[in-house]
Amino acid sequence: MKKKIFELRDVRFSYLGKYPALQGVDITIEKGSRAAVIGANGSGKSTLLNILDGLIFPDTGSVKFFGAELDEKALADERFNRYFRSRVGLVFQNPDIQLFCPTVKEEIMFGPLNFGFSHKEIKKAFDLIVDVFGIKDLVDRMPHQLSIGEKRKVSMASVLISGPELLLLDEPTAGLDPKTSRGLVDLLNEYHDDGKTIITATHDMHIVEEIADIVHVFSRDKKIIRSGPPAELLADTEFLEENNLIHSHFHRHDGKAHTHPHEHPSHDHTH
Amino acid sequence: MGTLVFLKESVFSDEYASRKGFMQSIDPRFKAVSFFLFILTALFTKSIATSLWLYLLCLMLVCVSKIDLGFFLKRTWIFIPIFSLFIAIPAIFSIVTPGEALVSFKLAGLNFIITRPGLAGGALFVTRVTVSVSFVVLLSITTKHFELLRVLRVFKVPHMFVMVLGMCYRYIYLFVEVVENTYLAVRSRVGRRVHYKKGQRMAAWNMASLWHRSYRLNEAVYNAMLSRGYSGEPAIFNDFKARPRDWVWLACSVVLTFISLNII
Ligand SMILES: Nc1ncnc2c1ncn2[C@@H]1O[C@H](COP(=O)(O)OP(=O)(O)O)[C@@H](O)[C@H]1O
Ligand SMILES: [Mg+2]
Repeated sequence: MKKKIFELRDVRFSYLGKYPALQGVDITIEKGSRAAVIGANGSGKSTLLNILDGLIFPDTGSVKFFGAELDEKALADERFNRYFRSRVGLVFQNPDIQLFCPTVKEEIMFGPLNFGFSHKEIKKAFDLIVDVFGIKDLVDRMPHQLSIGEKRKVSMASVLISGPELLLLDEPTAGLDPKTSRGLVDLLNEYHDDGKTIITATHDMHIVEEIADIVHVFSRDKKIIRSGPPAELLADTEFLEENNLIHSHFHRHDGKAHTHPHEHPSHDHTH
Repeated sequence: MGTLVFLKESVFSDEYASRKGFMQSIDPRFKAVSFFLFILTALFTKSIATSLWLYLLCLMLVCVSKIDLGFFLKRTWIFIPIFSLFIAIPAIFSIVTPGEALVSFKLAGLNFIITRPGLAGGALFVTRVTVSVSFVVLLSITTKHFELLRVLRVFKVPHMFVMVLGMCYRYIYLFVEVVENTYLAVRSRVGRRVHYKKGQRMAAWNMASLWHRSYRLNEAVYNAMLSRGYSGEPAIFNDFKARPRDWVWLACSVVLTFISLNII
């Protein structure tokens, strides 16, 4: 059996005690897996990722990280904190939040500097990551002046440079053109091939199959109502429609149709 | 709109800082130290000649740094009156600085007497402020703003202070963008002419939502920092590298300081 990185049982969370965001979530994350969390806007995906990143803590329910309870007390321990933070990385949904340093360079170096890497290591990792993302021209720019695609690349680079074992991504392709999106997906898959675990929250149905071996679907009442392999879930259009993930015009790209065969269980359907 | 564009161009563009001029080529740390020396000299000297000579030096540095002299003068002289005249003008009169009368005039039934020591003191004060402001402006336009922030951290200015400065900078930028976008949005919807009252209201609404957002933003930004291992300890990648020319410049500026102090 594979090792479990995270095990969440009946996790509930509400913002300020009155805005419910998770209402009883169970999820297990296995080491080396690729999971997608899908769901309509406001269904709790970002909240779940924040809990997995140890930034907020559930009101009730348990979050286990390698079998031990992950709570504020655990993270107050400096050594465990450093261990946890360097192994779990979160790329935020909003790059304007993620990017807080004056320059792209400092942004990317922020993590490894805080984790106490040596300057030599940082320099090496920096050159490599900048090369991988093709953002050499941006290193002296101010992050908040970049385009959305550039911002997403920098956000991702600033997390990946520390080489986290578990990578959490919150809508990494939102607002990107298909080609940039494609490039990021390829990059993530290469990262996964290195043995890392990746969890992606998204409602971009086009990438789900390529980034996940298992999909967890959030319903509108902020619970996971179904988990399974992407092919099976994506074939169930009725189910997806019910949960606001697609609308009835979804598979109507004439000409280019059928690039996503699993959304077309039978080819004789009519609109 | 013109002022906004001016603000954006002059404060947020690193255009001058990216030019290949003399001051731009000096390591920011050395530049900061040497300018600090010059400003100290100007502040402690009792002679106007010394101050004027330092001002001349500053203007010469402007010229060898590929900066338009007119632009530089405009930038500095915006600030100088604010800092100096309000303090210096009262001081030239006899009530504040007694001494030999130079000019006297009556205004609204009051007798105003400008005294010689008062005038000399006022002039010295103005030149001091001029020199200080000029060097600070020269430093800020020949150095990229993030390098300035890093210099502050290298010189052990408290981390929190530098971070707040950086954030202010970012918020002002955000603010300018919001105002600009609102203006554009209003113009595209209403046509060319916008009643300024309406434009103002929209900008105000935008600002309110901006501050609301910034409140939530701060918390989220803090989380983003935590997520990447921030623990309140400043971490800085100091890759400033001093080259021989930086040391030469520093030596020159020390010599210049001594020369200045001996000009009576
Ligand atoms: N900072 C916040 N304060 C109050 N409510 C919030 C906050 N963030 C999210 N919520 C609420 O929590 C619920 C889940 O949000 P979120 O996790 O962001 O969903 P998703 O990422 O799936 O769009 C939503 O109903 C949202 O309105
Ligand atoms: Mg979200």
